[in-house]
Amino acid sequence: MSATNWEVGPILRALKRNKVGALLIALQIAVTMTIIVNAIFIIQERSQLMARESGLDDANSFFLSSTGFATDFDEQSTVTADLEAIRNTPGVRNAIQINAIPVSGGGWSMGLQTEPGEDIEGTGVAVYMVDEQGLDTLDVELIAGENFTANDILWRGNGESSWPDLVILSQAMVERLFPDLPVAESIGKTVYINNDEPMIIKGVIDKLQAPWPGWSNVENSMLVPQKMLFTSTRYFIRAEPGMRDTLMPQVEQMLADSNRGRIIRSLRSVEETRERTYRQHSGMIKILTTVMVILTIVTALGIVGLASFSVNRRKKQIGTRRALGASQGSIMRYFMLENFLISTMGVLLGAALTVGLNILLVNTFEMSRIEWYYVPAGMVVLWIVGQLAVYGPARKAAQVSPALATRTV
Amino acid sequence: MFQYYLKLSLKSLRRNPILSALMVTAIALGIGACMTILTVNYVMSSDPIPHKSDKLFYVQLDSWDPYQPAREPNDPPDQITWTDATNLMQEKAAFRQAAMASSNGVIEPADQDSKPYLASMRLTYSDFFSMFDVPFLYGSAWDAAADEQEQLVAVISKATNDRNFGGENSVGQTLRVAGENFRIVGVVDDWQPVPRFYDVTTGAFDDTEEVYLPLALKMPLELPSSGNVNCWKEPDGDGFIAFLQSECVNYQMWVELPSDADKQRYMDFLDNYANQQKALGRFPRPLNNKLSDVMQWMEYNNVVNDDAEVMLWLSFMFLAVCLLNTIGLLLAKFSTKASEIGLRRAVGASRGDLFRQHLVETAMIGLAGGLAGLGLAWLGLRGIEAIFGEFVSKMVHMDTNMIIVALALALVSSILAGLYPTWRACNIAPAGQLKSQ
Amino acid sequence: MLTMTDIKKVFRTDVVETHALRDFNLQVDEGEFVAVTGPSGSGKTTFLNIAGLLETFDGGIYQLDGEDVSHFNDKQRSRMRNEKIGFIFQSFNLIPDLDLFDNVDVPLRYRGFNSAERKRRIEQSLETVGLANRMKHLPAQLSGGQQQRVAIARALAGEPRFLLADEPTGNLDSQMATSVMELLKSINDTGTTIIMVTHDPQLAAEAKRNIQVRDGRVSEVDNVMPLKAATA
Repeated sequence: MSATNWEVGPILRALKRNKVGALLIALQIAVTMTIIVNAIFIIQERSQLMARESGLDDANSFFLSSTGFATDFDEQSTVTADLEAIRNTPGVRNAIQINAIPVSGGGWSMGLQTEPGEDIEGTGVAVYMVDEQGLDTLDVELIAGENFTANDILWRGNGESSWPDLVILSQAMVERLFPDLPVAESIGKTVYINNDEPMIIKGVIDKLQAPWPGWSNVENSMLVPQKMLFTSTRYFIRAEPGMRDTLMPQVEQMLADSNRGRIIRSLRSVEETRERTYRQHSGMIKILTTVMVILTIVTALGIVGLASFSVNRRKKQIGTRRALGASQGSIMRYFMLENFLISTMGVLLGAALTVGLNILLVNTFEMSRIEWYYVPAGMVVLWIVGQLAVYGPARKAAQVSPALATRTV
Repeated sequence: MFQYYLKLSLKSLRRNPILSALMVTAIALGIGACMTILTVNYVMSSDPIPHKSDKLFYVQLDSWDPYQPAREPNDPPDQITWTDATNLMQEKAAFRQAAMASSNGVIEPADQDSKPYLASMRLTYSDFFSMFDVPFLYGSAWDAAADEQEQLVAVISKATNDRNFGGENSVGQTLRVAGENFRIVGVVDDWQPVPRFYDVTTGAFDDTEEVYLPLALKMPLELPSSGNVNCWKEPDGDGFIAFLQSECVNYQMWVELPSDADKQRYMDFLDNYANQQKALGRFPRPLNNKLSDVMQWMEYNNVVNDDAEVMLWLSFMFLAVCLLNTIGLLLAKFSTKASEIGLRRAVGASRGDLFRQHLVETAMIGLAGGLAGLGLAWLGLRGIEAIFGEFVSKMVHMDTNMIIVALALALVSSILAGLYPTWRACNIAPAGQLKSQ
Repeated sequence: MLTMTDIKKVFRTDVVETHALRDFNLQVDEGEFVAVTGPSGSGKTTFLNIAGLLETFDGGIYQLDGEDVSHFNDKQRSRMRNEKIGFIFQSFNLIPDLDLFDNVDVPLRYRGFNSAERKRRIEQSLETVGLANRMKHLPAQLSGGQQQRVAIARALAGEPRFLLADEPTGNLDSQMATSVMELLKSINDTGTTIIMVTHDPQLAAEAKRNIQVRDGRVSEVDNVMPLKAATA
């Protein structure tokens, strides 16, 4: 097969006389590519967002809320009794009282700074109040310094605004506060909360996400050694592997029965919380995927329809070509090549539109810029879709009998 | 003649069932996708209180940190402090005004067999109900005196009334909330503004609350704060009162200002108030107070979700692809009718006749596609509901407007798609096609 | 040389079997100009299709230029058509979207010539039919006679051993028909074998040899040279 068999020139010249049909396909391909590439880019971004680890033992952890209402409700004795009861339940690995749940969407944040002073801008950090069992219950690893001891833990009253002297920070937070210091050397350093209240770094943990996944400081978190005397509070429970689903109703019932002066509510696993928090993203991914699939099918069917029509219209011409010596392969190649050329127009225009739409999205919705390689990848995909779609009609064209040339229609 | 065209179109559509089905499907998919997303956007961006949304204003006061704005570049915080809320309410400088906050409390049903439960609460002032045209099933709002005298009165939602009083008129009865006995003065009928404009801080599409109490009770009863609490400096001292009197913001404030002059006057009043506070050592930032009407406030808070908008753009592009598809298929279809058109021209049909005949045909395709598209949009909305859950449950209902829009969109777009192919088909010379092919 | 021995061709539908050719025997020698006539439905087009390798046959032996083509596959048959046979059709069969140059180019592309060679041949053959100055025109811009000349140029460009013509003047008026016929004769004079199917006895009379097909058989072979003077 020599190079001259590729009839690029004649095909292009013939297309020029049938602009509209070719243009329609090219435009379809261009817009389809624009949508698909941008959609895939968004999907990719969201998947990465969703794939980030919380730092928790997601599969085995759950939590619930306890809200006291009885006039004689005593916070301190209730919390102490509850924690003892939960920790002693078979199947429970560990449990803590905590003020907020990572990735849940609601929590506390504060600012920390390395120098005292009102005019210094602090670094945002999520606050988790835990006792000495916090590290094990949250499944976080101490990478420097020490854990809190039972003696470090203080009771925090409702409306209390002062902070304990000790703090454990996430690695990301330490690196933000002391960018030039090896993590281990941050132990013993003082950081300031509320502009001028000092706290000494007792330990550094590997990873614990803030409650707000969309927050730019999502990896910044701090543990403070406190138990809370709030009428409404939360318990976070880490179960032994496989025990979570059995324990959830069991713990809920146990707490509800142990003290009638309060309400137990919001029982939820960390997995479900994650699912709820990321539902908008997973929903977007599902919708975009559906759109992409349907759109590709629509475009492919459009190509099949127009190509079949063009084969039908050119049957006589195909017969003539066959009579003049075109093999079935040559005819197939003709239609595949024709589609390839139309697709090329489409994907070139599509590349421009893709980047254009992305720029528009970036400017309007603060999305990020598309990676360059998405564009050529999209072009290849659309080329392939075009070739697959035209394969059927091209095969049909190749089946046209050369004897059609002598038939007078 | 129109009937004749209808008959011809039906015949023609039946002659190429696959091609016709393909065109109807393409339009249906395009319309379905567009309408699904359009409905969500339409509901998100709808005016929750159309007859007075331009007379209700959300109050923002810049009480924030001297060193950094509450929101970049230089916007005041989106809520106000307890101090400012109570001060502004005392002044009564607007036609109507209501400061408010969200809270929650345990309801202990009188019936000993029913379990206590945690209810969502809105703490506010009596003007809340008249300002927002809250419909009452029984009774009415509490009066201004109740606010001033910190009376233990409550307005409850219909659901709360159903749960605690079996749906009976409970006005005058007692409900135990947050450890106190409240006298019920009113029961709100079904009421769910979408978006729930009066407080969008925790989500613009949340449910309305189960219980409404006077905000003035927050201090004596130490009612908890829910929603977002933001502080630029810690309270001076410990305890509930110190927290209330701190610079932490957790309160929303709406005023009703019937005329532009009223608005100007209220704006002056706010600036004046801020200057007084400056004299007291508060409000360290330059004067920066804001009044936003309902739709401005929705816009400022990005109530129409970015994702929904992105999807709207994509869905219109999707429709464009489907229409390009239809144009191509129509072109193919009409070109096979060249000889028929030639014949009709030869026996005396004018170009206009043929144009109308084929326009009827495309309109039929459009209508069929539109109807099927409506079905798909309904399915699409159910799909969105299944995917996003309660977050969107208020946004997935189509009203008559949307149905009309869907059909019009289908019809207009299919006719637009049909124009060029029809024009090309009708430009066939009468003689040319009769000769041999 | 073209030799057909006992060629059979049957068309089957669900209800009928039509014997288009039965025991068809024919030999055409190098350089002949054969006219094939016969009433419509006699099988003359089927003969042409088989002779031109446009259709397969159901029995017999067909030798073209010394090769037995009976068991050729599609690719071999295409190659054979391309290299050894030129076609001229009643309705010209020019490709409407291509200009004259590109139309003549079609078979040369399949031949695999390089572009310089193709250009030389296209120009030469369009020169032969007197249309070299119309190279960039579209078929629709030409008269019927001119279109048929382009078709002849297309057939000649590949320098085939055989030229098969199917009612080449069927769609032309008599003046144009005469000029096309003259062109064919001059091509034959250069040594190209021509087989022409026609229903027009007058036209057939201009060929060197006449064959009549009736009921799928060669019914009469007329080897008498026609009187050129009588028709001219």
